[in-house]
Amino acid sequence: MKAQKYLRSLVMAAPMAVALSTPVLAQQQPCIGNSAAITGPAAFGGQAIKMGAEIAIEEINAKGGVLGQRLRFVQYDDAGAPPRGVDNTRRIALADKCVVILGGYHSTVSVAQVEPVHALGIPFVGVLAANTQAIENGRSPNYMFRVSAKDKWVARFLVEQAAKVSKSGKIAFFYENTGWGNGALPDVKAAVAKAGKELVATETFNWNDQDMTPQAMRARDAGADVALFWALDREGNQIVRSMDKVGYKPTIIGAWGIAGNLGELAGPLANGVEVVQTYSFMGELDPKGQALWQKIQAKYGLKDPSQIKMGSGVANAYDAVYIVAKAIEKAGSYDWKKVREALYSVRHDGLVAKYDPAFDASDPERQDAILPRDYKLTVWSDGKLLPIAQTPYGKAN
Amino acid sequence: MTTALQYTLSGLAIGGIYALVALGFHIMWSAAKAVNFAHGDTLMLGAVLAVLGVDAGLPLPLACLLAIAAGGIFGVVLERFAVRPFTGTNASIGWMLTTIAVGIMIESLATMQFGGFSRPLASPGIEKAITIGGAGVYPQELLIPLVAVVAMIGFRLLQKRTLVGRAMQAVAHNRQAASLMGIDVNRIVMLSFGLAALFGAAAGVLVAPVIQASATMGALLGLKGFAVAIIGGITSAPGVVVAGLAFGIMEKFVEGYVSTAAREIVGFGAMILVLLAFPQGLFGKREIFKV
Repeated sequence: MKAQKYLRSLVMAAPMAVALSTPVLAQQQPCIGNSAAITGPAAFGGQAIKMGAEIAIEEINAKGGVLGQRLRFVQYDDAGAPPRGVDNTRRIALADKCVVILGGYHSTVSVAQVEPVHALGIPFVGVLAANTQAIENGRSPNYMFRVSAKDKWVARFLVEQAAKVSKSGKIAFFYENTGWGNGALPDVKAAVAKAGKELVATETFNWNDQDMTPQAMRARDAGADVALFWALDREGNQIVRSMDKVGYKPTIIGAWGIAGNLGELAGPLANGVEVVQTYSFMGELDPKGQALWQKIQAKYGLKDPSQIKMGSGVANAYDAVYIVAKAIEKAGSYDWKKVREALYSVRHDGLVAKYDPAFDASDPERQDAILPRDYKLTVWSDGKLLPIAQTPYGKAN
Repeated sequence: MTTALQYTLSGLAIGGIYALVALGFHIMWSAAKAVNFAHGDTLMLGAVLAVLGVDAGLPLPLACLLAIAAGGIFGVVLERFAVRPFTGTNASIGWMLTTIAVGIMIESLATMQFGGFSRPLASPGIEKAITIGGAGVYPQELLIPLVAVVAMIGFRLLQKRTLVGRAMQAVAHNRQAASLMGIDVNRIVMLSFGLAALFGAAAGVLVAPVIQASATMGALLGLKGFAVAIIGGITSAPGVVVAGLAFGIMEKFVEGYVSTAAREIVGFGAMILVLLAFPQGLFGKREIFKV
């Protein structure tokens, strides 16, 4: 009885709390927040976002900021843990009063942020995590945006590449047993069916697994001549080594989990492994990329572009900050709701793509700004991940 | 046939790691009736320090030896400060918490210093896979179970033939009686922890070329090594080594014929069943505690 009474009073009080907090929410400031992993195994993801966002903000501030005020960047660590991501979301929205929150590296965190982002009504722009459902979440109005790859489109892109090189038409899929890997399985299945090819092996593995010979043998015996990877570097290395042990040499095409240090881990076995990315600082750069790389060099003391792990994250965050700044100018205000609406009309010639417009309110799939035609295929070549056109692998195709 | 051979060979390689880790647990338990739950992190320390040594420009063999030695020192220091103060009375279990705590601290420290990425350790043993009856395996992988068996035999000889080894057995049998006979119990226990840590760090150096060195590599290997030690009977050195190799092979067959996801379910399920049927482990001797 008592509990029921308490609950009822809570329910009664809730609208009041919202009403009371509204005036507080109305004073957003020129600040962009980010919750990402800055410690733990994926710390390089948070670092990449920081580099891209900070440099973009410096450039914008050098030209006078937004609406006459300087933009600020705040970043909090979630270490890949969803509860901490949720906590950081509230902190960025309510304590720092930022205009927009940028997403982090882990898909599980982004999915968990959907709820608080909508409860608060702050626009969220993902810059790394690629999980389809985080952004295509069925909400209306949807406050989740993304300037990064989307698993559904990556799956289609990879399968298209696979269909081009496969002679037998048989494809194998290796994916990690996590939210990211399992989330991609339906996307890959659908894409393979659509391409009229056959998915003959779907093989899973866990983080830290040391040997994947059983999986490699099953894929080999099923006759697959192309293997798609949804793996991180460490496990990707174990798969290529296991394939080597059982004498299996398929063409390997992977999502960007193997864009970190696979070349160092697997040595020559990584040669020819293709990886989809949104951007790469390796190889020859266009003037825009060159200018950004020089700023990164100066600001973070890097010597070689290969020191940037997850260059896609740097470029995505860089573009995302520009898109947000333009949306604020268009909205003429730091107000969350107005900025969200303005995001749909931003046009921007960015580093990764020409955003024209960045997002489309009439298409639920277009809460994503980077389209499959902007995805870039890179390939491991003697320890370096290069744009495929600049290597012998690209010329052979 | 080739398939079964492949699973057996791959399983032996993994099982060899479990066996080496379990052997460390056996050594510690037989001397102190306590173990270092951070033993998996001793393995990680060996692997990570070897990679850092190579980074610093040391030749590979020297870097490996220094890493193993550092692992041994870690074991000795850990025994002195995280185990000995907490094993005073018969029922004390404080060492469980302290060793787990040290393990977590070491892992966090390694993540901070070493970064999140896995790093390779070069070795001539992984340059080219060799084929045995159609099954492929790296020479390094065959080396691991071999080292486990040799280490086990070496430890048995040490126990049977040397004064220190006999003292270890005496301490294991009855601390107070051994102490009354003039054996420095604390020194023997410290020695056992050091020896176990040497084996642990050596295991790390041996597996790093195959599975790469990373700050998080130790936790699961440590846990599985402990499980294997319990299944095999923690009081029997041959028991834990055989159980380790068998456990590795069983895992590969489950992965091959059922699924990877089922591996831990079957593995740890088997552990519980074995303990129900053989409370002392498969090869363990019944221990009689006199109160």
